Amino acid sequence: MIVKCVIWDLDNTLLSGVYLESAEQPPPPDPAMLAVAAELRDRGILHAIASRNPPEAAQYARQATGLEFAAAECGWDRKSDAVQRIAADLGIAPDAVAFVDDDLYERAEVSFRVPEALVLSPEDMADAPGWAEFSPPTVTAEARRRAAMYAERRLRQQEAQAFAGSRDEFLRYCRTEVTIAGATPADVPRLHELSVRTHQFNSAGRAMAEPDLRSLTGSPAHQVTTVRLADRFGDDGMVGGCVVATGERTWTVTLLMMSCRAMGRGVIEALLAWLARSAAQGGATVLAVPCVVSARNVPLRLALAGAGFRAAESGPPDRPAAVFSRLLSGPPPELPDWVAGEAARR
Amino acid sequence: MNGGAASDVAGELRQVLVEATGREDLAAMSEATPLFGGGAGLDSLTGTLLLREVHRRFGVDVAAEDLNLDSLATIGTLAAYIAERAR
Repeated sequence: MIVKCVIWDLDNTLLSGVYLESAEQPPPPDPAMLAVAAELRDRGILHAIASRNPPEAAQYARQATGLEFAAAECGWDRKSDAVQRIAADLGIAPDAVAFVDDDLYERAEVSFRVPEALVLSPEDMADAPGWAEFSPPTVTAEARRRAAMYAERRLRQQEAQAFAGSRDEFLRYCRTEVTIAGATPADVPRLHELSVRTHQFNSAGRAMAEPDLRSLTGSPAHQVTTVRLADRFGDDGMVGGCVVATGERTWTVTLLMMSCRAMGRGVIEALLAWLARSAAQGGATVLAVPCVVSARNVPLRLALAGAGFRAAESGPPDRPAAVFSRLLSGPPPELPDWVAGEAARR
Repeated sequence: MNGGAASDVAGELRQVLVEATGREDLAAMSEATPLFGGGAGLDSLTGTLLLREVHRRFGVDVAAEDLNLDSLATIGTLAAYIAERAR
């Protein structure tokens, strides 16, 4: 599992001293930890803070380290609660989180209550850039912007809470634009990264290698599609994609994936409607999405159920799977009006 | 369980939906209103919040038992599904 977010203790961990002992002139960042953190940031890994300090400590850490923190939990309750809140807030599963603290007791407490998390001492962390858990296979443009996108997401969520209308009205108010287009070879690294990183919205439940994706983009029997998302808060870049085997009667979506960052923003509905329309235009009568059935990809099943797909069970009991399918008779589903560009005119 | 239990569950589900969607008007939705699409506007995000809360409050793991999520057709169908299984 690749770590998506490192949650840092501050005192004697990310900082080279105790914040409250010298509030006049707080301790500078620990140079070794700062170097590791900057390296991981450049690989697209997020940073967050869980500290027994007042909230000003997080502001100080931002300014002193020059790092962006996607979330900060400052307070005196359990660190395990802080870790769980941060993971939930960022939409990241606890097994994609690392927690770094110099205090043995805090590490034990988090290990006990959040056993999925990777719990490390600062000494461990010094070696972390060499570990597989901290080495995403590719570093894409989306990865480098990831911290900024989480900051934009926080602003969007604040506005959403204050917004009185429906979700669709909010998406229009945000000037949401979903762009669906055929994949080119240049899109392959990001498509591969999505296949590795997505779990809640991944039909296949496994990654697809770059050479396989590259050959599929050139295959006449397949369609590889990318989905991009932007609104007035910022550009999320490529947030999803799919691979379709375009049979004569049945179009089979062999891989359907979307970043959980795009959840609740009208993307998966747009893609499913677009796929149904394209398949119908291509002469197919059935659109099928074979899907592993797991506790993690319930959001994908919800989207399929909401878009009128029906499931038939398949696969062995130890690896439950189902084929979700939708008949293409009758009028095609409407494309949401936030679908932009070429796809919307087809 | 009897019909009274199902209607208690439906009342609690309305509260959960109001919290998940931020839409106060759902507090008054009828048991026959569709949850997906134009009805309550349930999507994968609010649907996940709803299922998590159902699991926490009633101990019923709808996603694990109902492959097609047919129980999510309306508030009424979901309340009946939960009332049958909750102990």
